Amino acid sequence: MRKLALCFCLLTLALAPPSLTAQETTLSLPQERMKLITAFNLIEKQSGYAIAYNEDLININRYVVPSTGKPLQATFEALLKGTGMEAHIQDRMVFIVPKMDSENDWNKNIYAPFNMIEESVIVGYGRMNKKDITSAVSIFHPGAAASTASSDIGTMLQGNVAGVNIQASSGSVGSRNRVSIRGIGSLTAGNEPLYVVDGVPISNTTSDAGGWEGEETDALSDINPDDIESIQILKDAAASAIYGSRATNGVVLITTKKGKKGTPKVSIDAGCSLSYIPKLRKLKVADADLYLEVQNEAIDNYNAQTGQSVPHINNPYPERGYFSWTDLVLRTSVSWKANASISGGSEKSRYYISANVRHNQGVIIGSKAEKYGIRANVETDIKRWLSAGVNIGANYNYTHHVPNGNMGTSMLTHSLEHRPWDRPYKEDGSYTTKDNELLHYNLLQALYEQDAFNRNYRLIGNIFAQINFIENLSLRSSVGGDFMYTEDYVYYNSKHMYGNSVGKLIDARKAHSSLVVDNVLSYHKKFNSGFKFDAMAGHSFQTDASSTASQTGQGFPSKDFNVNSAAAEYLNVTSGRKEWAMQSFITRITLNHLDRYLLTLSARTDGSSKFATKNRYGFFPSASAGWVISKEPFWKDPKTTIKLRMSVGMTGNQGGIGAYAWMPLANGGYNYLNESGIAFMTKGNENLKWEKTTQYDLGLDMAFFSGGLTLSADFFQKYTKDMLYNKPIPATSGFTNEICNIGQMRNSGLELTLGSDISIGDFRWQGGFNISFIKNRLTSLINDGVLTSGSYHALKVGEEVGSFYMIKMLGIYQSDDQVPAKQYAQGVRAGDIMYEDVNGDGDIDTVNDSQFVGSANPLFTGGLSSTFYWKGFDLSFLLTFSYGNMIYQTWTGGLRLGYGLWPSQESEALARWTGPGTSNTVPRAIYGMTWNSTKFVNTRFLHDGSYLRCRNLSLGYTLPFYALRKIGIRSLRVHFSADNLFLISPYRYIDPEVTCSLDATKMGTDNMWLPQPRTFSLGLNVKF
Amino acid sequence: MKRVVIILLIQILFVSCGKYLNKYPHSGTPREHITNEDAGLLVTGMYNIAQYKPTFNGWALFDLIGGDIIRTGATSANTPKLLVEGAIAPNGSIVTSPWNGYFAGLYQINSTLSVIESMPESQEKREMLGTCHFFRGLYYYNIVTRWRNVPIITGQKGEKQQQKDEDLVWQFVKEEFRQAYLLSADFTDKNYVSKEAAQALMARTCLAMGLKEEAKSLAEGLIENEKFSLSDFNHIFRGKNNKEEIFTFANLVQESSVNMSSYYYTKESGVGGGYNFCPTSEAMAMYKDNDKRKEISIAYQGNGQPVLNKYCSGDAGRDPLYIVRLAEMYLISAECQGYPKGLDRLNELRAFRGLDAVNPSDQESFIDAVLDERRLELFGEGFRWYDLVRTGRYTSVIGVDDKYSVLPIPARELSLNGNLRQHPLWETSGAI
Repeated sequence: MRKLALCFCLLTLALAPPSLTAQETTLSLPQERMKLITAFNLIEKQSGYAIAYNEDLININRYVVPSTGKPLQATFEALLKGTGMEAHIQDRMVFIVPKMDSENDWNKNIYAPFNMIEESVIVGYGRMNKKDITSAVSIFHPGAAASTASSDIGTMLQGNVAGVNIQASSGSVGSRNRVSIRGIGSLTAGNEPLYVVDGVPISNTTSDAGGWEGEETDALSDINPDDIESIQILKDAAASAIYGSRATNGVVLITTKKGKKGTPKVSIDAGCSLSYIPKLRKLKVADADLYLEVQNEAIDNYNAQTGQSVPHINNPYPERGYFSWTDLVLRTSVSWKANASISGGSEKSRYYISANVRHNQGVIIGSKAEKYGIRANVETDIKRWLSAGVNIGANYNYTHHVPNGNMGTSMLTHSLEHRPWDRPYKEDGSYTTKDNELLHYNLLQALYEQDAFNRNYRLIGNIFAQINFIENLSLRSSVGGDFMYTEDYVYYNSKHMYGNSVGKLIDARKAHSSLVVDNVLSYHKKFNSGFKFDAMAGHSFQTDASSTASQTGQGFPSKDFNVNSAAAEYLNVTSGRKEWAMQSFITRITLNHLDRYLLTLSARTDGSSKFATKNRYGFFPSASAGWVISKEPFWKDPKTTIKLRMSVGMTGNQGGIGAYAWMPLANGGYNYLNESGIAFMTKGNENLKWEKTTQYDLGLDMAFFSGGLTLSADFFQKYTKDMLYNKPIPATSGFTNEICNIGQMRNSGLELTLGSDISIGDFRWQGGFNISFIKNRLTSLINDGVLTSGSYHALKVGEEVGSFYMIKMLGIYQSDDQVPAKQYAQGVRAGDIMYEDVNGDGDIDTVNDSQFVGSANPLFTGGLSSTFYWKGFDLSFLLTFSYGNMIYQTWTGGLRLGYGLWPSQESEALARWTGPGTSNTVPRAIYGMTWNSTKFVNTRFLHDGSYLRCRNLSLGYTLPFYALRKIGIRSLRVHFSADNLFLISPYRYIDPEVTCSLDATKMGTDNMWLPQPRTFSLGLNVKF
Repeated sequence: MKRVVIILLIQILFVSCGKYLNKYPHSGTPREHITNEDAGLLVTGMYNIAQYKPTFNGWALFDLIGGDIIRTGATSANTPKLLVEGAIAPNGSIVTSPWNGYFAGLYQINSTLSVIESMPESQEKREMLGTCHFFRGLYYYNIVTRWRNVPIITGQKGEKQQQKDEDLVWQFVKEEFRQAYLLSADFTDKNYVSKEAAQALMARTCLAMGLKEEAKSLAEGLIENEKFSLSDFNHIFRGKNNKEEIFTFANLVQESSVNMSSYYYTKESGVGGGYNFCPTSEAMAMYKDNDKRKEISIAYQGNGQPVLNKYCSGDAGRDPLYIVRLAEMYLISAECQGYPKGLDRLNELRAFRGLDAVNPSDQESFIDAVLDERRLELFGEGFRWYDLVRTGRYTSVIGVDDKYSVLPIPARELSLNGNLRQHPLWETSGAI
């Protein structure tokens, strides 16, 4: 059994069988006595073929001396001599079976015990054989190399799956990723897929409890990547409709590793890595001379045109050299990880246990994340008809925060806002501050005088029992839970700028528990005619409860007193509590005739507490059909398989709305002079209901040369209606927004996945390429007008969600004559920016002159990967790319050129306009005027964010088995990898992937958040 | 047997959990559960909303754009002109956040009124109604001075309202204060609405409406009222007992987010401060040394940074929001009586503040003197911009375009409500 399961993995990893030539390749095996199982392992490794056998039929512990220099078939003949068994090679599997007379017999009689050898796919409340799947499901198996010391689920998937676009919010440790499957699902924040770990839907937002104001901490980082067996992504509605009301944005099913029958296997992974921010020279701040040149030129320009006499500024410390605050706060960080697992099983029980530790340093001094996790997956067959088991993962994460995100003390951003002569300390050793010498906060003061961390305790697991009542009918009952407890601690001592001079402590806690009870009845029946029937019906009930508590105290005797019982007063004490629940009825029927004609029907009904009684239940059906053309009698080419799929289904979305969103409320806590009061603060909407999406998918799977080349293509259309949207309403109503179902949207796209697997001699190449083109269009909203969304985006029917809406820069006025009179009157002169005057009134204003100028959504994204094997070496790379997405830099500090005392970016200062013809992109320096910098959101700061990134390059070497066998080691692999090795992008700053907002309507802005670092890792994997 | 067990098992497992889908919040109650027994709670809630909803921008606006305050820090909008031109725009937060706040507050007031109206007649009901009318008057005073032609909303439906003429809005404000005067209880506590508070704000309203005689007699009524007398600044603005405050929001730290002090104080204050705005050098120079108001009104912190000193709690706490106090009644009375009759009240106040009498020679210089006195007396309390605007001096004093004497209606509001029209001064010029 163990062997069989291993086959699944290998099959999957390889995507498809190798070319014909592989069978003819000769094997080179050590000429020594070894166990049969050992020989199988060696052959698998060399040939790339997976070996399937039945331990009841062959003794794998008998000793053999393999012959070398023979092709596959001959090697097996020699090995199996005298056992009454033979090797049957089909596709890229080797089946060890009792000797048969003819091909026919083999197929008829012996294939049966192995019919589970096909890759099975978890499809939500059950499994299906991959070949029977009729919907769009992507499967990703993290290989051994995929996990480095700093990796998480998001970075592992990136670039590997068509139609899945993953964007890191920043390079800070523990920060969140934006995961979008097949475009934009919704206008509200509920745009993330549903994550299900071993059947338990988990909370995937943030583990923060509300104390920290910087970047959010990713709740998905609680799952240890090394424990993941596979990740299946349900992309189309036919696949995801079984998850009904939460499935519009796709479903990510994470399956952890399970034990298999056999002797205990131990696997140990260890690795360390170094990270740093590359290309920092792009952010260089102008030195003192250049800074003064720009500032004084700005003052001269101002004085000349206004007749005023603003005095020049001088360098107060001419003796001081160039000083980089960026270098001061950044470092090369060191991270390491270790993971150990033991798995195995007896006749009746199987287990997988693991322990994991990761210490991950951030590139900003002081930032780090420490993660500890353990897992136990145990399953036992109690009776012939009853089995039970438990899958549990427990994690503890400690994240030490440094100021980041949009905080006023955010490290990278503000390291660029100090003048070349500014220093962190005065001569007496005390901090320089914004109130005496500096323009902005002293970053070292911000860093050293705060203590902020997030401690997160997480338990995700389930316990289940399966009863096989009669043949083909079984009931699986499971209780799953996701329990999270978070401590969110932010202490600013009295020396910190946020410490109010007396010290301030925000101590917040959050407890979250989610319980789901599933009962699923499955039936399958196979008829002699070749007809197969599978049916499933189930019920699921989930409750989710969370509570928060936070106190803010201030006034501490000294910084050694860092709990609120030592505080002089409490600024804020809150506690909150909320619950939601959902009841669901689920059913699915799968029909299969001769493996040629496949039909799957599913339906789910969800009832959610988030809606008023009248709108409580939603119905989500789906249907999908497949036609395996290559199984038709007329199909003559056995080396080519073709499957046509089509599906339609409906899914819902209830993400992004509060637990009691529909309810108009009188809220408490509106007190006056310590008397309690209430106020009507929640508008509610009793008509609130599900957002519904109907998705059509047409897919084609093809494999050529017995799988040497595979192609998969999907075309989809996704129509969303009744979108949940926090509709802006006139403030005169007493509210500025109302949650309601409004508008429609369409996503359409094409996904292509190509795979190859070719062996020539000892050389093997596995290649993968995927690309997806996704187009979003808003088809209806409140009206046809423009609805701004945040400061940089707007929604409009006919436009993409995530479109940028702003004033367009045309160039630079080269002479005063070009300046329209109305602008001239405001002080605009040659050297200032020429904006497009859309309404032609000679003046520029945001209301009348803004226009749509591009979108944060790429035209296409994808990945290109290859792995080369030669002898024991493997070399792989992964390139990811994105084309056509725009990014807006909200940080304009270094580009103000004389407006304010902000230091300049060197590149900008050198490129500035100084006279006719000197620049048509960078304006002149001008004092006191906002026209060129902060007055308008405009395309001066909007850039093409397309990129090609080398996400990973890795080189591994697996030591020859015979060298290790004597010391009892089954396998030893060392690998070196480089993440983010290079990036090619027209973006002016470092990382076009960074996004400050994960909201689909506001994404694609960079406020100089931390770019993703470049990481070099070294790793070791030992198995025995 | 096995089958029976199976069927039973399935029935148990699949039994509906529908009733568990009813979930209720813990910090609020469904609106339909509110009855007139909750009126008292709603009135308390209305005080809370009324004090914090206008936000700092709302309470401080008339100072921020009044010419005596500039921005601090690296942004260098360090003349009043640059501050005004940079901040006032149809999508500027200084315009939008108070707009949203005032109308959110009005919604509370109107909703509370509708609950109170269903109560049986009683003194308690009368007083609660008085409080509602007082806040509605106060809110509309703030709205009409800023935006002039605005919708008058007295019910709970305010989505697509049409504007009313400025005169009608002023009439409405005056009527609200008159109702508040008739219904409210007599003054006992400066932190609660009283008959006298309504009277004082009616005086302020009449002054703005040009009803000099009425304004004067209302103001005089309060000056003569023995419950009130002028007090020292270091009592009024340092939390000590005094008889000058007529209505002041308590603005306790746990009940409000409006922190005036943190915008004006520096870190060097000892209690923290964000130091976003500071007095101009002219404002720092306007107090004479013998002016008893000087030390409380202005100060220098750290290495010579000028600060507005009336709000002193820093980042740590909150300061009261002074809505109306007796000194303003002296100044209203003086202004309404005109030259020379008003000189007595003006000099009476000046004498109390430690200054010599002034002796202007005609009505024009008398008004100058009154405005100068208002500038000194009420600095940082939200008066200056409208004083300059209502006397037609604003654009010449600050040197900005005429349109800055009124706020533009927020762009967002115009686009969501087709019935609204932008003020003519802002109609063509958009965001500039």
